[in-house]
Amino acid sequence: MSEPAAPSEPAGSTRTGPGRLLVAVYALFALAASARAGVQIATKFGHAPVAYLLSAFAGVVYILATVTLANGSPLARRIAVVSCSVELAGVLAVGTWSLADPATFPDATVWSGYGSGYGFVPLVLPVLGLLWLRRSAARASGKRA
Amino acid sequence: MVIVAGLVLAGYAGLMTARDRRMDVPLLIAVGVLEVMVLVLVGLVVAKLAGGPRPASPATLIGYLIAMPVVPAAAAAWGLLERSRWGPAVIAVAGLVAAVLIVRLHQIWPVIHV
Repeated sequence: MSEPAAPSEPAGSTRTGPGRLLVAVYALFALAASARAGVQIATKFGHAPVAYLLSAFAGVVYILATVTLANGSPLARRIAVVSCSVELAGVLAVGTWSLADPATFPDATVWSGYGSGYGFVPLVLPVLGLLWLRRSAARASGKRA
Repeated sequence: MVIVAGLVLAGYAGLMTARDRRMDVPLLIAVGVLEVMVLVLVGLVVAKLAGGPRPASPATLIGYLIAMPVVPAAAAAWGLLERSRWGPAVIAVAGLVAAVLIVRLHQIWPVIHV
């Protein structure tokens, strides 16, 4: 399990095949969430501080997931699993919170309404990320067994 | 018009993914055409900004103006590294995203008619 993958072997890599698309979409959300949070915090922080801080947090999680999925080393994989899990928990928690207590969210975050403002991609993405990490890990160890 | 171009590119690249095709020169040319169209659009919006009128949230608009040209270029670079059907898949997403970004750009500043 903790056996290091051969460096130049593309099999089991997290950035090739479907992973290529996954990393691209993650990069997109990293950019979208951080840019959005940056603009909002810089221009109107007092308007919806909770929403903007959560957007910033989401941005950091997306950046971490993008970088670790693109890297794919054993350590990066482990960080990617944590990032995707935090992201899934975040979108579920913030999604529920935003529906239960709309007053705290006068402005939306990436995770508001379970990511409804982004076509629910934020809800699907961590699930795909975790599935992909599992599949590529199984493929990597299968090739080497 | 740029929205249509983005959607057409997404459809074409999506078809290539479905048919298990790799990145090829025609697809790269198509991405290049989209990139040029996006740059022209950005130029027109900047010209309008320079002319005086301001949108409700200039920071967001400027963010979009910076991000929009990056999307097709970064997708082409990232997709070219891939030697499978997932290269065109990246381009398909980029085409879709370009279209969505332009729709949102119109919402941010309805003065734009391109």
